[in-house]
Amino acid sequence: MGPTMKVTTHPTADTLTLVLDGELDASSAVVLDAELNKPEIVNYKKVLIDCQRLSYISSAGLGVFISHLQRLQDSDVKLVFFNMQEKVFNVFEILGLDSLMNIVPTQEEAQAA
Amino acid sequence: MPKVRRSAWFLALASLCWLVLLLSTLSRGQPIAGLPANWPRWVLLLAQGGFAASVFMYARLQPEPLAGQNFIGLLRRLFLRGLGLTLGLGALVGIEQLTSHHTLALPGNTTTAVVYTVALALFMVFLAQTLYTWRSLVNFRGGAKLRREWVVFEVLLGLTLLLQLFSWHIPDGVRLGSGIVLGLFGIYLSGHQRWIAYLSLGEKWQAILLQLGVLGLTVFFLLYLRGAQTDPVLLVPATQSSFLVFNSFFATFYALAGLMITLFNLPVAKVFEERRAEIMSLQQLSQIIQRGQSTPEIYQILFNSAIQTSKADAGALLPPRGVVGSALPAPLLHHLAPADLDAITAVLVPTPGTNHLPEIVENDLHRSQRIKDLPGVYGSVAVLPLHNTAHDYGTLVLLSHEPFTFDSEVLSILHAFTAQTVLSFENLQLAQEALNNQRTQDELRIAALVQERLIPRQLPTDDWFEVATYAQAAKEVGGDFYDFLHLPGQKLAVLIGDVSGKGVTAAFHTAQMKGIFHALMQANPLAKKERDRYPDPHRFMVQANEALTHCLERSSFITAAFYLIDYQAGGFSFARAGHCHTLYYHSIQEEVSYFRTEGLGLGIIRNAGYEKHVKTQFWDYNPGDVMVIYTDGIVEARDGDGNEYGEERLRQMLETCFYQTAAEINEELRHDVQEFSRGQPLHDDQTLLVIKFKAAQPHA
Repeated sequence: MGPTMKVTTHPTADTLTLVLDGELDASSAVVLDAELNKPEIVNYKKVLIDCQRLSYISSAGLGVFISHLQRLQDSDVKLVFFNMQEKVFNVFEILGLDSLMNIVPTQEEAQAA
Repeated sequence: MPKVRRSAWFLALASLCWLVLLLSTLSRGQPIAGLPANWPRWVLLLAQGGFAASVFMYARLQPEPLAGQNFIGLLRRLFLRGLGLTLGLGALVGIEQLTSHHTLALPGNTTTAVVYTVALALFMVFLAQTLYTWRSLVNFRGGAKLRREWVVFEVLLGLTLLLQLFSWHIPDGVRLGSGIVLGLFGIYLSGHQRWIAYLSLGEKWQAILLQLGVLGLTVFFLLYLRGAQTDPVLLVPATQSSFLVFNSFFATFYALAGLMITLFNLPVAKVFEERRAEIMSLQQLSQIIQRGQSTPEIYQILFNSAIQTSKADAGALLPPRGVVGSALPAPLLHHLAPADLDAITAVLVPTPGTNHLPEIVENDLHRSQRIKDLPGVYGSVAVLPLHNTAHDYGTLVLLSHEPFTFDSEVLSILHAFTAQTVLSFENLQLAQEALNNQRTQDELRIAALVQERLIPRQLPTDDWFEVATYAQAAKEVGGDFYDFLHLPGQKLAVLIGDVSGKGVTAAFHTAQMKGIFHALMQANPLAKKERDRYPDPHRFMVQANEALTHCLERSSFITAAFYLIDYQAGGFSFARAGHCHTLYYHSIQEEVSYFRTEGLGLGIIRNAGYEKHVKTQFWDYNPGDVMVIYTDGIVEARDGDGNEYGEERLRQMLETCFYQTAAEINEELRHDVQEFSRGQPLHDDQTLLVIKFKAAQPHA
């Protein structure tokens, strides 16, 4: 069994974009966690998560974002999600994370946020 | 130590015999020291035989001279001792020459007799040393049968001594025949030269030189003794020639045979040595598996062995492609520039239809069409992927300055290496998996046990509601939980939730949640108003969140929904903390819908700020209303195509069965979910609670 999700990073001067492709479950959560755990992440002003190809998120996947949320906020790094599929958004919404996290429809809005 | 004492006796006996031999030789033709001249012949023979026997016995009783496989050390010791003895003889002969023309000359044959006796003794010692050095070599890896044969050979040699001593008359034919038999025996024993196979090339050359040296020394002694025996001045009788002759013959022949075999071995020694190194490397690899060594060590040994045996000038061991956290994080390099490595990796493309790299062997790199960007110093290259059908373990790259280095023979050895390495990895992996399985199974057993204990054994019953439950744990135990508490004054508290994570940790948090539920639902005796005796749902969630703050790891959270139903007020209040929306059948409106309320999961915000993220809702119920409370394992159940069951299908199902009893509704819904995901494994725990409010039937 290979990893169920691919993470691609696109760094620019002050923005780091993570493109998630696949299912974010317990196994792929480890990969994403390693990416968000990198110390240089606090040097960016914004971390954008491209969810266009994210087809599923499990509680372990949500846990990764939850555990990094406080740290990023404390370091003044904005965490913005965009292009989220409805099914995945529902999971964020039910858990109440939509009130806590910045989820916008498009990449342009994410960059403007 | 009886052995040491015995050898000391032989030493003493040898010295005594030698003294008698000397005196007896001196007595030839002249009286000495007041003793008569011309001692009888048997005295001389006895002394000579006794001396030979004790010297040989002494050498025989010495501890085994061969230490392990140090053959060169053994030969060198023999040669140096022989050289010492020969130099001693040379010095004596020199003195004899000087004194014979000098006024200091001793009377008669004295000098010659002394020198001759000493020389004979030296030669005996040398022969004994040689014989027992050869014994060690003959018996090396020889076995018990050969050792017995050797003892027979010794006995026969001893017999020749006795025969001479008693001067029995033996017919010439028998003498010749037995001589030939003994000679053939010696030749047969000289065929046992197994030790030569264990020499390296350099050692073989050393062995040849040392054996030549030993031969030279023997010849020197023999020449002197031959001359001395015919010396008219000496007038000695024939020595025990057969013993000496057979001994010298065997000593010489064994050295000669060894020399020849070593010489003939020289041309193939190198090949032999290479094979040996290959076998050793393979053995090393297999041993590593047995010792259960780590993956980095296996990589390192494969790499070293492959470079050594293939005589590659440069090489690299590349990590498996697309594997996170490999035991080989960076390529291992051997005299290879990163740019040259890039030139090779650029052409590494998986075989179409598979995920594995092909094997590439370019033995004429200068004319290769495939790999063009390598510098001209390289003549051939071999790229060997390490994989089995399921896993990629990396890629071995070997480069040689010479063309045609990687011929079929080298490749077959390299294949043996790579196969052995893959096998090592497979074994390691199997061992690891077996360990993990055991651990996981233990965990699952504990977690299942905990969860089983946490599920309420008895459902609350009263005449104003019905409750029916269904709970199914997924294979990897998740963290679904629910609980009821019947409170005084016809109140019912209901809690449902789902802990993120699996296994023991989840079960542990489930237990904590249950504890928190029971602790918070204790009646507050100080409450002034009846409705303050129990925390309202909002307070319940805020307090639960605070309690969890200290024990939940950062990436874990809990979703929960809490309901406080009051029969007397005919309504209930509830709060949702990130949990699935409640499905509700309104009997008045005859409508099924979800309570879509806001509320953040527990453990996500771990400070007072959480208060703002959860709300209490109120609802007046009517008899016949149905409340369906569940966990996400229900709505996220998947069919064979990966579609989720979903809220909408659950809602539609309730529309068809709301009029039934709680137990029947529960059964209908459960059945439909199971039908939907028939044949699919259970991904997550499923919990389904159905509460149906009944027409008021006051207590009797």
